[in-house]
Amino acid sequence: MSSPLDNGSNARFSRLEDVILDETYPEVDLALRRGRHIDRDDIAWYAFLVDAADHLEPLYRRFGCELIHRTDGYFYLLPTSDALGRRHLSSSEMLVGQTLTLLYLEPSTVEQGGTVTREQVLGHLAGVLGADSLMRAMSPKRRRYDERVAQEAVRNKVAESLRRLATLGFVEIDQDERVRLRPSLMRFAEPVRGTKAPEAALARLVAEGEFVLAEEDAEEGEPEDAQAADAVGVGPDEATDDETPEEAS
Amino acid sequence: MIGPSGKNYAICLLPHLAVSDNHTPHAPQPSQSRDPNRLLSSLAQRGPALDLSTLDLCFLAALYLRAERAALTSFSEEQLADVFEQVEGVLPAGAEPRAANKRRATPAIRRLREQRMIARVDGAGIVRAGEYALTRLANGIIEFFLEDDTLTRESLTVLTRSLLLGLGEILAAANAAVCEEDWRMGVIGPLRITMGDLANGIERRQCGFDLQQEEFQREIAALLHADWFGAVARCQELLESTSTTLSELNQILLRDTHQLQSLLQDVQERAVASGIAEAEAAARAVVDQVDRIAAWGAARQRAWSEYYQYVHRYLRDVVRLDPARTLTHRLREHLAGKAGRAYALSITSAAPIRLLREVEVPPGEKPPVRRPRKQREQALADAPPENAQSKLEARVRGALAGGAGALGAVTETVIAEVPEEERFVTTGRVAHAVARLGNPHAAAEREWVAMRDGLMIEEWTMRATQAQTGQEEKETP
Repeated sequence: MSSPLDNGSNARFSRLEDVILDETYPEVDLALRRGRHIDRDDIAWYAFLVDAADHLEPLYRRFGCELIHRTDGYFYLLPTSDALGRRHLSSSEMLVGQTLTLLYLEPSTVEQGGTVTREQVLGHLAGVLGADSLMRAMSPKRRRYDERVAQEAVRNKVAESLRRLATLGFVEIDQDERVRLRPSLMRFAEPVRGTKAPEAALARLVAEGEFVLAEEDAEEGEPEDAQAADAVGVGPDEATDDETPEEAS
Repeated sequence: MIGPSGKNYAICLLPHLAVSDNHTPHAPQPSQSRDPNRLLSSLAQRGPALDLSTLDLCFLAALYLRAERAALTSFSEEQLADVFEQVEGVLPAGAEPRAANKRRATPAIRRLREQRMIARVDGAGIVRAGEYALTRLANGIIEFFLEDDTLTRESLTVLTRSLLLGLGEILAAANAAVCEEDWRMGVIGPLRITMGDLANGIERRQCGFDLQQEEFQREIAALLHADWFGAVARCQELLESTSTTLSELNQILLRDTHQLQSLLQDVQERAVASGIAEAEAAARAVVDQVDRIAAWGAARQRAWSEYYQYVHRYLRDVVRLDPARTLTHRLREHLAGKAGRAYALSITSAAPIRLLREVEVPPGEKPPVRRPRKQREQALADAPPENAQSKLEARVRGALAGGAGALGAVTETVIAEVPEEERFVTTGRVAHAVARLGNPHAAAEREWVAMRDGLMIEEWTMRATQAQTGQEEKETP
C-alpha cells in the first residue's frame, strides 16, 4: 500500500513515545481500531496522522493492521490478520455505500456542496437497481413479501446503513439530516477504478485483504439487524439471512 | 415572467411588500413601533396577499420599461391597454392560459389596482379617464426581476463612502445642535432616511449577491454535466472570480464598518449626553444594520470557502482523474449487477475493552433504603381431613346409645350443637343416619313432632336392638 506522507512528518514527532503521549492519540487510535476513516475534514486528527504516520505504521503492523493513507486524502486501518478484530460490510451497507459513491461522483452533487438527502440516496438506489431488484437485494431470502412492508424495510435498512457508514467516517449526517459525502467513499469504487480490468483489480484487492467476495461470508449473521427487522414485522431469522458481516475476532 | 432557465415566475405571497403605511418599512423606527409581534399581528389583520401571474408580471415589467424609456410619470387608460395588448402578443403560447382569447386589459388592470400594483394618480374621478402609475411595490418587484442589483466592489465602496460622509455630517450636526429642532433636522431625519436607505441599499445588494452565488453553483454543476472534463477550466474561473469578489467585499466591509461603528458610537454618545432619546434610538437602529452588514460578509466568506475547497477537491480528485467518466459508468454497471462479482469491504472492528468487576457499595455511602419484601403466598400447613358425615354419625350413635328412643329425641340432641342455618339440612341427615344405624319403626300413620326453629318431623320410634333385648332378658329374673 502506498503511503504518500508529507516530508515533514518527523518535524512534530521524533519518537513513537511522543506520538503516544500526544493528547490526540487515544481518540484517533480508538477511532481507527473501530474502522473509522479519517479525512481532511477531521482537521486535527488528519494533521496528527500525517505527522505521526511514520511512527504509527510499524506500531499498527505489530497488531496485524496496516495504516493506509490514500491519495484521495484519508487514513484507515486495514486488518491483515485477526489480531485486532475485523468485519466485512453487509450487503445493504455495500449497496448504500456504492450508491453514495455514485452520488459523490455526480456533478449535480457539486451544486449542493457535496451533500445529498436521504430521499436522493433512496431515489438513486432505486433508479440504478430498479425498485423490485432493490427490495429483493435488501431481503434476498424472503420468499413472499408485502410491497408496503418491503418498501418500509428498504427505507429502514438504508437509514441503518447510512448510520453505520457515518460511524465509519464514509459520510457525515448533519442536523438537518442531510448526508455529507466524504472522500473515503472512493474506497467502494476501488475495484472498478484504474485502467486494469475490474476482475483483475478485484482479485488483487481481495489478495491484499481490502475486500472479500460476497460468497465467502454469506453464512455470517448480523445480530443488530434482527432488531431492525423486528421493527417492520420480520422474523429475526428471516432478517439476518441476507446480512454478511463478520466478527472474526 | 419567463426566467433565464425558461421557468415561469409567479408571485403568490409577498406580505412585507404589501404593507402600505406612511413610513418606509425599512427605515429605522423607535423600538416601540418596531415590535415584531405587534407588526405581524397588524399585518395579519390586514390580510395582505399577492397573486400575480406571469402575464401580470410581464405587464408590469412592460409598463416599468416604457416609463423608463419615455420618461413617463403616468399612463393613460389607452396606454395601459396598448401595453397590455403588446405583452399578450409577445407572451409565448402556453406561458399563460388565455381564456379563449377573451382576456382584455380591463380585468388585468383592475386586479393590479386591487393589489396596489397600479394606482390612479389624477384624482379626477368620473370626470375624465384616469391616469395611472406604478406603485413602489410594483417597482420593487419588477426591479428584482429586471435589474442586476448585486453587490460589487464598486457599488459597495460607493455606498460605504456615502455612509461615512453622511455620518460625518450627522456627527457635526449633532455636535452643533442646540435645540430639539436641530436634532430632528440634522441628526434624526438623516439617520432614519439617508443612512437607513444607504444601508438598505447594501443589504439589498447582498441579497443579490447571494442569488448570484446560487446561480454560480448551478452553473458549475451544469457545466460539468454538459462538458465533464472540458468544464474544469471554466469552473475554476467561476470559483476564482467569486472568491476574489467575496474577499474584496469582505475587506471593504471589515475596514469601513469599523469606521461606521465608530462614528455612530460618537453620535449615540452625543445623543445620550443631550438627552435626545429619539436620536439615540435612530443611531442604534443604524448600528444594528451595520452589524448585520458586517456579519453577512464573514458568514458568506466562510460558507464560500467550504464550497470552494469542496469543488476544487472534486475537480482534482474526480474530474481530472476520470476524464471519460469511466469510473461512474463501471460503478453503475457493477451496482446494477451487470458486471463483476459482488464484494464487501474489510474494516477493523476492535471490540471495546470490557472490565469485569464486583459491584461494591462505595465506602461512606449507605445502601439505599428498601422495603422488605412481603411473602405473597402463605405457607401451607398440615391439617387433618374433616368428615362431617362421620361426625354426624358419631353424634347420632351417641344419642342412640344415650337412650334416645325416637327420631325426635335423637334429632333434638344432635341439632342442638349445630348452627341455626345448618339445622334444616342436618335434620334430614340425622333421619338418614338413624335409619341406617338404629332400628326405627315407622307406623303407617306417623305423628308429627315439633323441633327447634319451627321444624317439624315425622316421629319414628326405635325398636330395641338384639343386644338390648338380650341384656334386658338377663336383667329380668
